[in-house]
Amino acid sequence: MCDICGCQLHEHHHHDPKVVEVNRSLLEANQKQAEANRHYIEHMGAVAINLISSPGSGKTTLLERTIDELKESCGIGVIEGDIETERDADRIRAKGVPAVQLTTGGACHLDAPMVHGGLHVLEHLAKGRRLDLIFIENVGNLVCPATFDLGEHQRVVLLSSPEGSDKPAKYPATFKSADLVLITKSDLLPHFDFSVEEATSQVHLLKPELEIITLSATTGDGFLRWLTYLRRLLAQRLPHAH
Amino acid sequence: MHELSLAHNLIEQILALAAEHQARKVNRVVVTLGPFSGVVRDSFEFGFNILKREQEPVQDALLELLAPDPQYICFDCDKTVSIPLTRQNDRLELASCSLETKKCPWCGSNRLSPNGGTELILNQLEME
Repeated sequence: MCDICGCQLHEHHHHDPKVVEVNRSLLEANQKQAEANRHYIEHMGAVAINLISSPGSGKTTLLERTIDELKESCGIGVIEGDIETERDADRIRAKGVPAVQLTTGGACHLDAPMVHGGLHVLEHLAKGRRLDLIFIENVGNLVCPATFDLGEHQRVVLLSSPEGSDKPAKYPATFKSADLVLITKSDLLPHFDFSVEEATSQVHLLKPELEIITLSATTGDGFLRWLTYLRRLLAQRLPHAH
Repeated sequence: MHELSLAHNLIEQILALAAEHQARKVNRVVVTLGPFSGVVRDSFEFGFNILKREQEPVQDALLELLAPDPQYICFDCDKTVSIPLTRQNDRLELASCSLETKKCPWCGSNRLSPNGGTELILNQLEME
């Protein structure tokens, strides 16, 4: 029955369908939260880096060595994203810096609302100590995290030598969204047929001029360039925060 | 894999708009998935059609997906080229938009760089 005119015809409708032009991004809600996160991070006086890569490409190992090298000179905080376990956060805590573990319980990526919660916990764990550098280690996945802005200032994509130099061609969206690419586990290059030249030309096809650093967190080879990149970021922070 | 969360976001967005326009029922939803958005069309559609069952206003909503042709910039001749997806391989090509197999129709170079195409847009709703 039509509840406008009360007539009994089942198919009868008195109201015409109306068409509404929306033209808004599906990521609108995430984007809003990401902007708020960025503002919050800047208010803390920090700069945030979103680390994206496949599982096992060395994100946590990179962080461990980075913390060893920088923790005397700046306040570091880490948000770890994983599907399960606190293992990565425990590795970071062992280095004496605050770490929040976000377990997504199956979700393949972090999103801005999750990171928002993580930032509050991180600030609490820092107990008044200043945070200069916040690393957000995304869920190991070279596909899904690319779509979601977390409120980071820089997005760093890792590619380890055992994975093969064809990965930028296979996962263009992720590499195109990067601000820096790290080719990790360079100490293993002699044992795999990874071509730094191929990876570089594939990345530059997606984004010409993108900075690429080849390094090993085990031997420290190339690490200085990475630390220089981080120090440059820290120096470029918004002046009002200090 | 993230298609399900995107479909979930879409449904929330639709429900909010339906409430705003005092509509009881959404008939049709038009969405653009950019060719380089990293979203697999079939998975997105599958996710939407599962999730819509739980929400009365969108239960019968029909999802219409627009897939614009991917655009590239040729690094050798500098032209912007549009290379339509071949119908047969739609699914595979949309998932990867493989660069290696594509050639510039002007100069034959395979140095084609994806241009734009990362958009995910809710274009239009038909409600009553």
